[in-house]
Amino acid sequence: MKKHLILTVILAVLLVGVPAYAATPLETIKVNVNKVLEVLRDPSLKGESTKEIKKEKLRAVYYKMFDETELSKRSLSRNWKKLTPAQQEEFVRLFHQILENTYADRILAYKNEKISFDRESLITSKQAEVFTRFFTASAEIPINYRLLLVNGNWKVYDIVIENVSLVQNYRTQFNDILSKNPPEKLLETLRKKVKQS
Amino acid sequence: MDPIVPLRGKHDQGVSAMKSRLSVIVLWLLLACCMSFTTGPGPFSVNPAWAVTGDGTALAEIEDIRPDEDAAEPAAQENQPAETLVDDPSEGDFEDEEELAGLEQDNGNGVPPIADPIEPFNRAMYQFNDKLYFWVLKPVATGYNKVAPERMRVCVKNFFTNLAFPIRFTSCLLQADFTCTAQETGRFFLNSIWGVAGLFDVASQEGVNLPKQDADLGQTFGVWGIGQGVYIVWPVLGPSSPRDTLGTVGEFFLYPVSYLNPWYASSGVRTYEIINDTSLRIGDYEALKGAAIDPYIAIRDAYVQYRYKKIEKKRLKLFSAPAPAPAESVK
Repeated sequence: MKKHLILTVILAVLLVGVPAYAATPLETIKVNVNKVLEVLRDPSLKGESTKEIKKEKLRAVYYKMFDETELSKRSLSRNWKKLTPAQQEEFVRLFHQILENTYADRILAYKNEKISFDRESLITSKQAEVFTRFFTASAEIPINYRLLLVNGNWKVYDIVIENVSLVQNYRTQFNDILSKNPPEKLLETLRKKVKQS
Repeated sequence: MDPIVPLRGKHDQGVSAMKSRLSVIVLWLLLACCMSFTTGPGPFSVNPAWAVTGDGTALAEIEDIRPDEDAAEPAAQENQPAETLVDDPSEGDFEDEEELAGLEQDNGNGVPPIADPIEPFNRAMYQFNDKLYFWVLKPVATGYNKVAPERMRVCVKNFFTNLAFPIRFTSCLLQADFTCTAQETGRFFLNSIWGVAGLFDVASQEGVNLPKQDADLGQTFGVWGIGQGVYIVWPVLGPSSPRDTLGTVGEFFLYPVSYLNPWYASSGVRTYEIINDTSLRIGDYEALKGAAIDPYIAIRDAYVQYRYKKIEKKRLKLFSAPAPAPAESVK
């Protein structure tokens, strides 16, 4: 009887304890990138015809891994508040589409290159950077992920490839447009861009 | 390696356009006109729009700090769009001013924006380089890809990288970074002897662990405290600044291939090197361009971020202090 009680207590502690445990930033990245690799290496998904299925699966990982709103917000920075909530929503959607159109094919072109998960550094208790390297035949490309702790989960809000921050790069471009034009013009440019591809 | 500029060589920004010493002298003269040899951040490198933290006081501070430079360089002021100087009342709407400041600082990494007073010229040069890539370089590199296996192309790349040893060695030396100097020297002998004249990068392998040092002359000037100045896009060479242009010129003299005789042999080798480098990177530029809303601005920003980080890393290593970013002085 006593044994049962102890077991029940242990079980209860475990059950309660699990949601409170947050993976470290490095673990989070590792798990998610490995999920991506799993999709890419899946032998049942070889060939051009399965491209859409792969993309669908990658999208699921993307939503788990990234904080889209944060990414958009940071890309617009002080301009974010110039957009109405409806415009903000559309912006997040269009921005996602542009990123997907460009990077999905790049990711699908993966040819079993080696990836090394080097280290993490906590900027604050809620903000971290994870350092990884991607090895191509001729070069090694440093890829850093910047994460934010959102509701107990680490979410990516920026990727830094070879020292170039994606968010910062887009911010410069959006800033350039918004310094001369109203937000509607930016959305129109993005809509056009999405249609093109 | 520069990920953003398909037209540049790896270490030296490809100098096939410089066919003779004469053109170098012309370039020097050009430089003398547009270069300001001020130490510390260049006069062009402050853009108050970025330094302002939310209220006008920061702007006033900048003017206090650098009154003479603003007066001396009207071009820099012209370049800053007037509307960015005006404080936007809507900024007050941000629930949390601190959050906003954090947002900007964090993602900006203190990277100062670059002034672009000759934007029309630069945009034209960008278009030229873009066409050069799609019409000439890419087709040639694609054809070359078909006949030369990747392994061979990597070896060719390694060979040229090894040959550019004097550039990295001199840069490390001028930075007074002696571990870097020693590692480069060790690498050079190892790769030249065991790596069959540099065809194989044995020094980077595990166990030896002497990776290529990320050092160039433009970076060296940055480490010394020379600011980036204004943005220049050179035909063929791609994105640059007065500081990095000076670096490129210096590297020309440090690169053994430049001394090949006759001059067209040297140019030919350089061209081949550029094609070989490009063949290993087809798709990078297309992706960057495809992802960009305005490719010109995207590349300019990527160039600035890349160069700034490269210098900042070196400064952190040498002095444990980041580059004196003008934006940081008012944070």
